[in-house]
Amino acid sequence: MLTIRLFCNEGMSTSLLVEEMKKAAAAEGTEVDIRAYPINDLDDKAKGIDCALLGPQVGYLKAKASKTCQQLGVPMDVIPMQDYGMCNGKNVLAFAKKLAGK
Amino acid sequence: MKDFMNEKVVPKVMAFINTKAIQALKDGLLYSMPMMIVGAVFLLIANFPIPAFTEWLAEVGVTPVLNQAYNSTFGIMSMIASVGIAFTYVQNEGYKGLPAGVISLCCYLILQPQSLTLADGSAVNAIQGTWTGGQGMVGALGMGLIVGWIYSIFMKKDITIKMPAGVPEGVSQAFVALIPGAVIIIGVTILYAVVNLGLHSTPMEWIYSVIQAPLQGMTDSVGGVIGMGLMVPFLWFFGVHGSTIIGGIMSPMLASNTAANQAILDAGKELTLANGGHIVTQQFFDQFMTVTGAGLTIGLVLYMFAFSKSAQLRQIGKIGIAPAFFNINEPVLFGVPVVLNPMLAVPFILMPVLSGLIEYFAIYTGICPMYGGVVLPWTCPPIISGLLIGGVRTAILQFLILVLSFFVYLPFVRMVDRTYVKQEQEAQNQE
Repeated sequence: MLTIRLFCNEGMSTSLLVEEMKKAAAAEGTEVDIRAYPINDLDDKAKGIDCALLGPQVGYLKAKASKTCQQLGVPMDVIPMQDYGMCNGKNVLAFAKKLAGK
Repeated sequence: MKDFMNEKVVPKVMAFINTKAIQALKDGLLYSMPMMIVGAVFLLIANFPIPAFTEWLAEVGVTPVLNQAYNSTFGIMSMIASVGIAFTYVQNEGYKGLPAGVISLCCYLILQPQSLTLADGSAVNAIQGTWTGGQGMVGALGMGLIVGWIYSIFMKKDITIKMPAGVPEGVSQAFVALIPGAVIIIGVTILYAVVNLGLHSTPMEWIYSVIQAPLQGMTDSVGGVIGMGLMVPFLWFFGVHGSTIIGGIMSPMLASNTAANQAILDAGKELTLANGGHIVTQQFFDQFMTVTGAGLTIGLVLYMFAFSKSAQLRQIGKIGIAPAFFNINEPVLFGVPVVLNPMLAVPFILMPVLSGLIEYFAIYTGICPMYGGVVLPWTCPPIISGLLIGGVRTAILQFLILVLSFFVYLPFVRMVDRTYVKQEQEAQNQE
């Protein structure tokens, strides 16, 4: 089971991408638990997950987020802009897998 | 150019945005907003645009009930902000935020006038709606930041009452706020004493007339409209969430202007420029300057959805069209992309300014009405939102702005479309 959390401004626009990632995972036969949250909940929601992904629109908070994630021992990165915009679930899932080292 | 922006400009913009004060201001205000929107629902019912219905409400005595709810939500926006900002500041510093929020609330109340002289000459002690609502906003923000800052210093230096080992964690937690609370409250009380005894006023009244009223005036001007109109897409152009940042910074002033307008209506006067009404309010920003998403990209989305020949653009048009009607356009901004794309920079930055100026002019000349206290979630679809905040004329103006967006984006998106088609063909030829 791969637990991925996406963080953006209010967790709204990112939920579109979450659906696409779930579809991509189902097609691959990977078991996943993917959800989107507002970036302000990072401290809370990033605990014990496999990887945290930031929407590009909150990429400016990367430094702070990476400190939080380091403390929690969770790998974190910003989703590539175009994959985010195109809602490319497959690419972002692959990105997350690589990040999580699975 | 792109490298220059990424290496020189963006980090500076980021450094400002990431300051503790701006972060606390923007996130702390998020606690007031939902309550304002909830309160506005009651206001909307009490002032429903069918006179027969509102008269009936008043007759059966429901109007005061609705006002009770409204006054305790929308009417205490700055009171909530005073808690939210100190809370957020301290929480961001990694400590428990609520004790600081409570201290900030007390200080905010110390700042304001509480003695009210009644018609019969007797004086009562009262917390007044004037100051818990819009007019106390800057005082609340300032106090929230100062309390957050000082409280965090106490926490960092670990100046708190130490309980002996064995005292339960919960009990010792309860005493953490004692020393910083005492110091901060004594300080603010001294400030009140100086202003009250020296100037026969209160710090809150002083802050309002010297700082807040001029700031509200600056926001409510053509310059303010152009400034906001440019800044939101400018930040977004670098991939930064401009709507939240500029909205967050400007919201105190915009919400205060909204509250001031409603106060005019509550006083039984007509909401006009002559009576001191404000043109640029929260609704002005949400329902005209960021409608269908930052940069008013609806025109871009519609073109991509219906006319684009490039497969990539058509795909983004499909993804982006439904969210656009809820004023969400991240897929479009990052997918096309609009971010860091010089080909789309002109309409993207121009469109909000155009829309703002048209709306300003429409309200200034009286073609469209000013906005009272009805605020909506920013996700409310256009035209419906216009109908609710201002009525039919406002809805029509919104519709015209959406049409305008199409024609402003048209020449630019065609250019992008042609470029992408060419690239897609080249990619195919290579395969």
